[in-house]
Amino acid sequence: MIATQLLVNAAALGAAYALVAVGFVLVLNATTAVNFAHGETVVAGGFAAVAMASLLPPDISVPGLILLPGVLAVSALLGLAIGALAYLPIRNQPPVSVFVTTIAVGIIIANGLNAGFGAAPRSAPPLIGTGGFEFLGATISRQSLAIIATAAILIAALAWLLQRTQLGRQFRACAQDPEMARALGIQLTRITLMAFALGTAFAGAAGLLLAHQFFVSASDGGVLILKAYIAVVIGGWGSLRGAAAGALLIAIFEVGIAAIASQPVAEGALYITVLLVLFVRPQGLFGEPQQVRA
Amino acid sequence: MTLRNHIPAAAACSVLIFYATTFASSYDQRLLALSGVYVILVLGYQFIFGHAGALSLAQGSFFGAGAYATGILASRWDLGFLSTLPLSIAIAALLAALVAAPVLRLRTHYFALATLALAQLLLLAAVNWEGLTGGANGLSGVPPVSILGWQAQRGFPLVAVVWAIAGVAMLLARQQMNPARRAAFAIARETPLAAPAFGIDAGLLRFRAFLISAAFGGAAGALFVHTNRVVSPETLGFGVMVTCLTMTVVGGRTRIAGALIGALLLTHMPEWLRGLEAYYLVAMGALLLTMVLFAPDGLAAFLPAPKSQSGPAALPEHAVSATGFAGPPATLDASGLHKAFGGIRALDGLSLTLASGEIVGVIGPNGAGKTTLANALSGIVPPDAGTMHLAGRMISYLAPHDIARAGLTRTFQAPQLPSALEVREIIATARTHAGAQANAPTVEDALAFCGLADMASAPAGTLPHGLRRRVEICRAIVSRPSVLILDEPAAGLTLEEQAEIGTLCRALADAGMAILTIDHNVDFLKPIADRLVCMAEGRILAYGNPDGVLADPAVRAAYFGMDA
Repeated sequence: MIATQLLVNAAALGAAYALVAVGFVLVLNATTAVNFAHGETVVAGGFAAVAMASLLPPDISVPGLILLPGVLAVSALLGLAIGALAYLPIRNQPPVSVFVTTIAVGIIIANGLNAGFGAAPRSAPPLIGTGGFEFLGATISRQSLAIIATAAILIAALAWLLQRTQLGRQFRACAQDPEMARALGIQLTRITLMAFALGTAFAGAAGLLLAHQFFVSASDGGVLILKAYIAVVIGGWGSLRGAAAGALLIAIFEVGIAAIASQPVAEGALYITVLLVLFVRPQGLFGEPQQVRA
Repeated sequence: MTLRNHIPAAAACSVLIFYATTFASSYDQRLLALSGVYVILVLGYQFIFGHAGALSLAQGSFFGAGAYATGILASRWDLGFLSTLPLSIAIAALLAALVAAPVLRLRTHYFALATLALAQLLLLAAVNWEGLTGGANGLSGVPPVSILGWQAQRGFPLVAVVWAIAGVAMLLARQQMNPARRAAFAIARETPLAAPAFGIDAGLLRFRAFLISAAFGGAAGALFVHTNRVVSPETLGFGVMVTCLTMTVVGGRTRIAGALIGALLLTHMPEWLRGLEAYYLVAMGALLLTMVLFAPDGLAAFLPAPKSQSGPAALPEHAVSATGFAGPPATLDASGLHKAFGGIRALDGLSLTLASGEIVGVIGPNGAGKTTLANALSGIVPPDAGTMHLAGRMISYLAPHDIARAGLTRTFQAPQLPSALEVREIIATARTHAGAQANAPTVEDALAFCGLADMASAPAGTLPHGLRRRVEICRAIVSRPSVLILDEPAAGLTLEEQAEIGTLCRALADAGMAILTIDHNVDFLKPIADRLVCMAEGRILAYGNPDGVLADPAVRAAYFGMDA
């Protein structure tokens, strides 16, 4: 069945997008600022996987999944650097400033990777292996299933962290009311930097997941940040659950329309839909919880 | 403006012309032409990014739209420059007008998203609509600029055409950004909540800025295509946007000199940094980051600032009395106002009448809904239900800037003053935008009446708190309102300053103004208020003459925490 196959593909793409979007929201909630370099950090994660894979012995085939801890660690460090350089020094300036500094960081990452690895798309090893198996008449790819499972485990781990640990409670407190959180003795700077580390680690993991089937090239960041951004607008600004759901919706929309028409049509339709959504509901699909005080 | 002020500009012009005609190689001339193109692009971007303070990511798209318009019209339809340039500008502006409706109401992050989505959409169209655009390869064979049979070939002729248009663009930018409009933009950008309360229509300002930025972008794109003679999807790529943003941040966001510096510098930089090769763009990113962190106002900020025209205010020769500041006598009638935030009822069916010549004081515990009342009456936070009439005219559904123009102005609990603007500019902007009639007092009258004549040219950010409060009041009365709402005017003031504000209010009310003043400070209110209203939980607990209200057992329990 072609439909089943498409659905699995869409779910895999959506799972990877969900990691990107959730990482985006983690930073957003800790800073109320948009990290525009987030798309480039996905790309950086993909290239980190490519680079690490090239260090492995070429004669034995190693599953890409063992690269995950390394990619997470490298990405977390990158996230710390972004937070310390592009956010903390200007946290009291208007949000436009953070846009510009993170755009600058995005330029640095994208062009650094372009200079180091070249412009051609690269591919990371598959997570557990290639090929697929027959299921109800459809061919299900191992890679797709592995992407879905990995993303699900990472998101479940994050949910556990946020809901069940003291650190997670501090995260949520800072997201709800940073002033109050600080007054209660939570170290805002520490939490902010951890949000950057965690959010970027998720982006990097998504880079690893995407980099086999969809390849990775230095200029992909722009489209990826746009997808994360759209997912967050669809799911509700600041909502982690909404971001993940929005990402899945985008992937289904994209894969579905691409199957009927073509990839460019699918992308174009997505952007037009977003503009229409913003036209009808300028506050986003679900609005924003915080209110402004005159 | 004297001739003297033009000396630097004239000198820069001459040096440029001298260089272009003598030392410059044909490659240098190409770079000069490109710089001129980017000057126009950046001048446009300064309107939306610098003055309006909105991060548009579509400036590169307007550039690309202009580029494709010229490329297609010139290479396929053989139209001359006198048709292609205006058409390119019109197409870019039209595109901006089309998306402006959904896009301009959006808050920062949604505005950035929407403009980015637009940019991606146009890029997709350029790559995939091969019949029109030539697809990924673009269109080659774009003819040179041709004006009535004369062709501007590469080299000096092209440089001259580009810079002539850049010169026109600079003049236009200066004319559009006269000091008054500059001030209005600064107020809308830095105090977005307060701006409409003085009649500033921030949406209209943004719309205008967005259209101008698009028109300039379209012109720049058109000239770019004549410089390159090909048009390709790269003109719509994010690279152009990034270049434009970097030039604007490096040069300066709001000054014409900034556009010149940014465009000239960044067009020539690749030559100077050739050794970096592939890492050149990394250096660009680092430069952008460094500028925002260490010199957010750009290199133009290191030039001497354009001299302000004003000194201390010339004191009006006539005595300034309160009479001139009170607008036509009017009654404000609010009835059944409701406003809920989530489950909290900030206003719960509140009704209130405020007559010409009276001061009504509003007291009540924190969270009673006092500030929400001020916000509702001034239209800043429209009520969920209820009606408001000013002099018999329904104002419930008016936008806040229209309410201000109808004759109701206000001050804010925390003074909302853009720190870089001079006091006089702030007052003058309010006078213009709140629709002051010819018979309204002059700015100098208002400054003198509020005792601000000596501080007229001081930047608002340098004033102590007490004076800022007076600037707020001055700004609210300069347009000759019928109704004035003061939100905690005495908070944080010394007793002496409180008394001054009290005297000011009494004089205005005696002249016929209706004044509603919110304050916690009963000692401030009691001597000046004709009536007192005590609010609790969004309703009126008691109202009447001050002594009666203060003696009311319910008020004593709710507000002073005393047993009856």
